[in-house]
Amino acid sequence: MAGFSRRQFLSFTGGAIGVLALAACGGSSTPTTGTSGGGTTGGATGGTTGTTVSGAATARATQSSGPAPQAGQKKVTFWSAFGGKNGEALTKMVNDFNGSQQTVFIDNQFQGNYDETAQKLAASIAARQVPDMVVLSEVTWNRFSLNKTLQELDGLLTKGGVDPKDYVDSLIAEGTRQGKIWWVPFARSTPLFYYNRTLFKEAGLEDRAPKTWEEVRTFGLAIQKLGKPDLKAYAFTNAKNFNAWHFQGNVWQWGGNYSTKSLDITIDQPAAIEAGEWLRKFVHEDKLAYMAPDQSIDFSNGLAAMTQQSTGSLGTILSTAKFDVGTGLLPEGQKFGCPTGGAGLALLAAAPDDRKQAAIEFIKFVNKPENVAYWSKQSGYMPSTKSARDAAEMQQQFTANPNYKVAVDQLPKTQPQDTARLFIPNGDQTIGTGLERIIVNNEPTATVFKAVAEQLKRDSQDIKDQVKDLGLA
Amino acid sequence: MEVSLPKTAAKTAQRTTVRRYGVGVLKYALLILVAAIFFVPIFWMASASLKDLREIYTFPPQWIPLTPRWENYVDAWNAAPFGRFYTNTLITTAIGVAAELLFGTMTAYAFVFIPFPKKNLLFLLMLAALMIPIQVTMLPNYLTVANLGWLNTYAGIIVPGASVAFGTFLFRQHFLTLPKEILEAARLEGAGHFQLLTKIVLPLSRPIFVTVGLIALVNKWNDFLWPLIVTNRIDMRVLPVGLAYLFDQEGNSQWGVIMAATIFVVAPILLIFAWAQRHIIAGLTAGATKG
Repeated sequence: MAGFSRRQFLSFTGGAIGVLALAACGGSSTPTTGTSGGGTTGGATGGTTGTTVSGAATARATQSSGPAPQAGQKKVTFWSAFGGKNGEALTKMVNDFNGSQQTVFIDNQFQGNYDETAQKLAASIAARQVPDMVVLSEVTWNRFSLNKTLQELDGLLTKGGVDPKDYVDSLIAEGTRQGKIWWVPFARSTPLFYYNRTLFKEAGLEDRAPKTWEEVRTFGLAIQKLGKPDLKAYAFTNAKNFNAWHFQGNVWQWGGNYSTKSLDITIDQPAAIEAGEWLRKFVHEDKLAYMAPDQSIDFSNGLAAMTQQSTGSLGTILSTAKFDVGTGLLPEGQKFGCPTGGAGLALLAAAPDDRKQAAIEFIKFVNKPENVAYWSKQSGYMPSTKSARDAAEMQQQFTANPNYKVAVDQLPKTQPQDTARLFIPNGDQTIGTGLERIIVNNEPTATVFKAVAEQLKRDSQDIKDQVKDLGLA
Repeated sequence: MEVSLPKTAAKTAQRTTVRRYGVGVLKYALLILVAAIFFVPIFWMASASLKDLREIYTFPPQWIPLTPRWENYVDAWNAAPFGRFYTNTLITTAIGVAAELLFGTMTAYAFVFIPFPKKNLLFLLMLAALMIPIQVTMLPNYLTVANLGWLNTYAGIIVPGASVAFGTFLFRQHFLTLPKEILEAARLEGAGHFQLLTKIVLPLSRPIFVTVGLIALVNKWNDFLWPLIVTNRIDMRVLPVGLAYLFDQEGNSQWGVIMAATIFVVAPILLIFAWAQRHIIAGLTAGATKG
């Protein structure tokens, strides 16, 4: 293994792993076949997939829907996108719900990751065999919103006794368009700043996250002075791992945007370019930062002293790092800026009305403070209601794990991402590969962002009017 | 007794030995390198299947797990109904491969041995089907299957892939190389098409038959996207879709458990491959010698 550095090895093995873990909170907006056909479902029959009751196929199935519905239980088909530990946690909540009352039975059907679920939903809409409730990411729900295939939720929520005002304001605002709610928060995350407390101590730094990017640089120089050959101060990540989601914060921090609310592209404007140039110098002139295929792995192995990663990765980082992990709010440029990510719940307009109302019962159930706390603890997602955040269960979690509290404290200061990343097909990757050119190839930001802007403009032509009609505020 | 060779001859012999030795070493070094490229990922998968997450992420890499975590296999098996996934995959793969072989041989037989009008045009059309990417046919196929009421059924998974142009093409190319005389003789003896196919053509085509069968087997066993799209319920899922049940959306996957599950998903294929590889090698080289 001579001549094969730690970093090379990790970018190889970690990269392979990272590619497998295509998912992650960012969610990409790859174009989906048949999405455009989605607008035709007004008269859909509402026939729901899997109307025959599957029952418990296998006794040991931890993710199956558990027992079959009892007589009189209204069945709601729910397409979810959570595997692994999160899938188990969701299954437990669904089973608890099904056992807790006699009127509604949730048939939880796992459909792959966010993108796969969205692709399946697009196909099911074209075939007029839609589920009733579905998990959609902050990116994927927009396609269905544009095609008017989602159900407006205000009336249903009120009738079902769910108070929309209990949701954290910045989160419910994202699912609200033209004054109506279409998408409610469920599994939401944000980027978070991580630092290696052990290395900070060694470098004689204060035990806190840097407040500004200039401070990140200063701290980075101190880390560099330690003279460790494999150690870099800061790890960015690549397009595959959703660097455009992370950089969304940087653009805002420098006072810029990827695009306006009405989808005018502004990534080639001075503020955004300045944000990119700062990053380029940080990498190529200061030699303090680099691009890691998966920053979690590099950070956990002590190859990068600082990084930015999803709040949802906190659990893994804490369990794999062999040093003290510290977290903090994202650093500021001229101001603070932090996007949200993750997924929420939506109902299909084409689903039968009685099932829609029945689905609200489940939303009410998962919003109970003890369930929000359970889901949050198991998955690492943010508590999305105020009542749960203030409840004793959550407060206990904060005391037990102060790093987790940082993530929740940051939440009210977040904002929805720019339209370019949310709406434009492949917008995330267009911006992300542009960032790679800056970080890896040292190309001037102005040139790169000009090309990115042209690409985004081309790709947004078809949807620009639709987005304008939404009247995003 | 010492035999002294003329000086020049000794030198030449020495040089030849050195060269032969050198070439041999180089050849083996190359072979070992290629073998390692194939073997290391499989070894890493097996090794990771016995580690906890920290040991997988660690550097320098821990090639052999310090304390093998056999629980990973138990956890993986229990994380989703893999018994059911196995059954589903066995059914869809067995019927799918059988159908592909049946339709492939019959179509190829017709293309080679039965005269009919516009044969070449039809063959070209079939070749064109080879070039259409699956993404293009995905949605129309889904709509057809949905309208037939075949969502969440074995038919929905199997039927769209029951007839594959590539296999038919391979069969046709091979059938063309069969000596016409044998078929003529059989025909004079009064053999019909069915007998010709089963008694003469297929026995002479065993290597290509096994090759196409293995390719079909691997493709159908590993197929992810189509079975994911046409099934919604957990009791109709196949193994590759089952693996997705273990992945975490935020990248917090338990890799040890996933690798353990991957081992028992790929194991049957590896075993079948090891058993049938003699035929596949014969099959791939068969065309070369018969040119």
